[in-house]
Amino acid sequence: MIELKNIEKYYANKGVKSYILRHVTTSIKQGEFVSIMGPSGAGKSTLLNILGMLEEPTYGQYEFMGEDVVSLNERKRIELYRNHIGFVFQAYHLIDEMTVAENIEAPLLYKKVPGSERKSRVADILDRFNMVAKSDLFPNQLSGGQQQLVGIARALVAQPSIILADEPTGNLQSTQALQIMDLFKKLNEEEGITIVQVTHSEVNAAYGSRILHLLDGVIKEDVVVQQTV
Amino acid sequence: MCEVFLIWHTISNQKGNHDEMFKLNFKIILRSIWKNKVSSIINVVGLAIGLAACLMLLLYVMYELNFDKQSKDSENVHVVMTNVLDDKGKIFVTFNGSTTAFAPVIKREIPEVKYISRMDYGNTGLIANGINGFKKKSKFAEPDILKMYDYKFIHGDPKTALKDPRSVILTESTAKTLFGSTDVLNKTVKYQEKENLTVTAVIKDLPENSSNRFDYLMPWSLYEILDEGARDLNWSNFSFVTLVTLRPDANLDLVNKKIYEAIKRNNREVSQPNFLFPLSKMHLYGKFEEGKSVGGDIEQIWLFTALAIGILLIACINFMNMATAKSEKRAKEVGIKKTIGANRRSLIMQFLAESMVLTLISVIIAIALIEAFMPIFNNLLNIKMSIPYFNSYIWLGLLSVILLTGLIAGSYPAFYLSSFNPTQSLKRNVEGRSFFSLSLRKLLVIGQFCFTIILIISTLVIYKQIQFIKNKPVGFDVNALVEMPQDGQLNEKFELLKTRLLKSGAVTNMYQSSVNLSHHGSNFTGIEWRGMPNPENKVLFNRVGTTYDYISTNGIKLISGRDFNKKYASDSSAILVSASAVKVMGLKKPVGEIVKMFDSNCTIIGVFDDYVWDSPYQSNNPMIVYFNKGGTGAITMRLNENNNLQQNIETITSITKEINPAYPVEIKFMNSIYAEKLTKEKTLGLLSNLFGGLAIFISCLGLFGLLSYSAEQRTKEFGIRKVLGASVVSLMQLLSLSFVKMILVATVLAAPIAYYVMLKWLDNFEFHTTISWWIIALAALGTISITLLTVSYKAYRTAKSNPINALKYE
Repeated sequence: MIELKNIEKYYANKGVKSYILRHVTTSIKQGEFVSIMGPSGAGKSTLLNILGMLEEPTYGQYEFMGEDVVSLNERKRIELYRNHIGFVFQAYHLIDEMTVAENIEAPLLYKKVPGSERKSRVADILDRFNMVAKSDLFPNQLSGGQQQLVGIARALVAQPSIILADEPTGNLQSTQALQIMDLFKKLNEEEGITIVQVTHSEVNAAYGSRILHLLDGVIKEDVVVQQTV
Repeated sequence: MCEVFLIWHTISNQKGNHDEMFKLNFKIILRSIWKNKVSSIINVVGLAIGLAACLMLLLYVMYELNFDKQSKDSENVHVVMTNVLDDKGKIFVTFNGSTTAFAPVIKREIPEVKYISRMDYGNTGLIANGINGFKKKSKFAEPDILKMYDYKFIHGDPKTALKDPRSVILTESTAKTLFGSTDVLNKTVKYQEKENLTVTAVIKDLPENSSNRFDYLMPWSLYEILDEGARDLNWSNFSFVTLVTLRPDANLDLVNKKIYEAIKRNNREVSQPNFLFPLSKMHLYGKFEEGKSVGGDIEQIWLFTALAIGILLIACINFMNMATAKSEKRAKEVGIKKTIGANRRSLIMQFLAESMVLTLISVIIAIALIEAFMPIFNNLLNIKMSIPYFNSYIWLGLLSVILLTGLIAGSYPAFYLSSFNPTQSLKRNVEGRSFFSLSLRKLLVIGQFCFTIILIISTLVIYKQIQFIKNKPVGFDVNALVEMPQDGQLNEKFELLKTRLLKSGAVTNMYQSSVNLSHHGSNFTGIEWRGMPNPENKVLFNRVGTTYDYISTNGIKLISGRDFNKKYASDSSAILVSASAVKVMGLKKPVGEIVKMFDSNCTIIGVFDDYVWDSPYQSNNPMIVYFNKGGTGAITMRLNENNNLQQNIETITSITKEINPAYPVEIKFMNSIYAEKLTKEKTLGLLSNLFGGLAIFISCLGLFGLLSYSAEQRTKEFGIRKVLGASVVSLMQLLSLSFVKMILVATVLAAPIAYYVMLKWLDNFEFHTTISWWIIALAALGTISITLLTVSYKAYRTAKSNPINALKYE
């Protein structure tokens, strides 16, 4: 699904290149659950942003579903967002002026999904996430964990093939964090959604099927997680 | 078939989707307006006031532009103008008077003329139902006038209304004043105590913005009976107005050529060429130089239009600035929406819709404001305007104002923010660009205050000029001096009135004269004196006819000689001359000199000092006061200051009423007459004061909003600074200093512009004040102190807050 070849990212400052990513070459297959780990400043988030086409690599090749996307124009990129990629952010990034239901519905509106189908899909997902009672509340009336659930619901509602999550549990308490990770695992196993997450936590990483260890912009380790359950 | 259905289905679905999107966006807009109450209120209130001021001014501009344009055929109506030539054949003045002989010739000889009507200039005359008389605006005109103006007839027939010489057309309000009803056909009214006229029609009141207004209209044929000048068909008396309607296909230049030829054929010694000028242009383009229109009040109209646009722009700038200030927060929203699939177009639409909604709310408030303040505004300008709700252009105009304002105000977030890259905006990485937005914001604020300061300086200069003229001595003691028109019986029984009033003790002295003291009499050139430089005099002199007690009543300073006196029988051919007349004539010893005026020899018995009459802004023609018992028109009285003022007026009123019962007694105080001469400039001063004030208010509102955001953005920085030991004062300085700097820059930019503009304005007046440096300093200081007041409260609150609150955020 994702093919990265020799991805490099650096900022040149007065002739000195400060590297963020070096020689990153890897591939992620459909249905994998990959965790990107590493210390602060290792380039985890940059890698995820490049995967999500939010940033362009300085150098290298990136194919998403067989298509070269390094210099994709904005219109095509938005098409990919609408149909294939769901984002989950550490700070949730819900739209404050929209209710829970409206936040979830928004991607479908942009995707031009017909009204009746939209309603049923939102209702469906609210039901699945046990949030029907909260559908008319605004983000600031929810706890952090609940907000992140809405964030995930919003990412899922457009039925993406991949979810990119940047420290999805970074702002949450541990019980809420476990809940979110359980949800990711379930989505991955039952619906075959590819998940790539950036995380600091070994515990969270253990939920995935594969871990990429990043150090100073270089992939140090690429290990398959032994499922202990 | 199936395919067609499918396509239709998709289209209808997409449409449905658009509607949904619109509905959702609309809902979100209302929510975010509610959530950001402070900035919304600043935006809406500022914009509403700006719009109200702008629309009010534009209504006034429209009112002025529509002058004399109410009737269907108004574009074909022309007024006959006359060029007055000097002895070298050069045009030295152009005015709208014409002769009695002109109209019949033109009607006969020029086929393009559809209708033609002679009129008088209009007067104020007594019209009475029985003993109830009122002084109302009268007009005489030929029947064609009813075809030129489409007067709305309530009663009567336009075809016959002016046929009989003893007929009169009343306006609705005149009929109601006289009879209490409009159903008054064939009733009789009395004109000037003499003529019994039959009411042949009642028409709706005429619009205020018409140059030929009247309260009652009488036929020209009656005027010919009453007035010798109107009866006499000649080419030399230019005391009448002629209106001409041309056929729609007529070429004005060609017609004017034909008029010239026609006059030449009929009047061999053609002295003053006539031409037609569109009546609808007279009001605004009525200033002529060498026979060509060179503008006029239209300049003031452009000024008001500029003011209207300026104020609206100030309000729009607030709107834009608030948007740029909020950009950080909005950038995050843009980022989120982009990652969930929004494209740029939908974001642009959303931002524009948001500003349109705010504009719409502002427009509604603005209309309410206009409704509330219209009476005051009308009062101020002495006009009658209202919002023409049933005029489709108004709604079209309003719609375009909403769209345009919404577009200008919303353009920044719509086109700039929507271009943000999602990662940049989500990571709050907008500093690189905020340099641009910050300087744009600064630029806009500087522009706002530049405009405001120009207005303030203009106001101050206008007030200084008014003060200058006010403090300029008029040349006599205006207090305790009153005047009244010499109507009806007061002409013949003046001596009786004088005796009785003097005896009553209410007045100490009084005289009659052909015109009142503050107004010019008739201008003439026919005067000869000993030692004239040229064989024929070319300087315009002004003359006023009077009898005894002229100087002793008005108290004008006598430089040499004496006033008219009953002791000297020869005074009936004596004159008084003004100091400037002596100067023009170059007389060393004026008293005793003999001057030839209108073929009679007059002796100068006194010289009086020049005083202010007509316009207080310029020096006047040399003036000659001559003895003339028939020179009646106004009575001037000096009140006895030993008595109570109220008592004096009551005595005068009762005695006058007794002698002249048919007319109302209209006593006017000389000081208010002189104060009225400054009305136009006072109105201008008041307007620039008012709109300058509004501009300051709106600008400060915007400043307050900007400061709030700047304070919000810098909470963290302030928290850190406080932890490091910064004092409240230093933090306040940090916040306010940049604003003060902007005002200073604005002052530097505004001062020369205002200076130049006001210098040009002052040039219009012969007597004018100077623009002192302190005016500019005062304007700058005033603006800075108002700004400081605006920002200091917010700055204080921010600087005073607990650093922990600020640092908790991240």
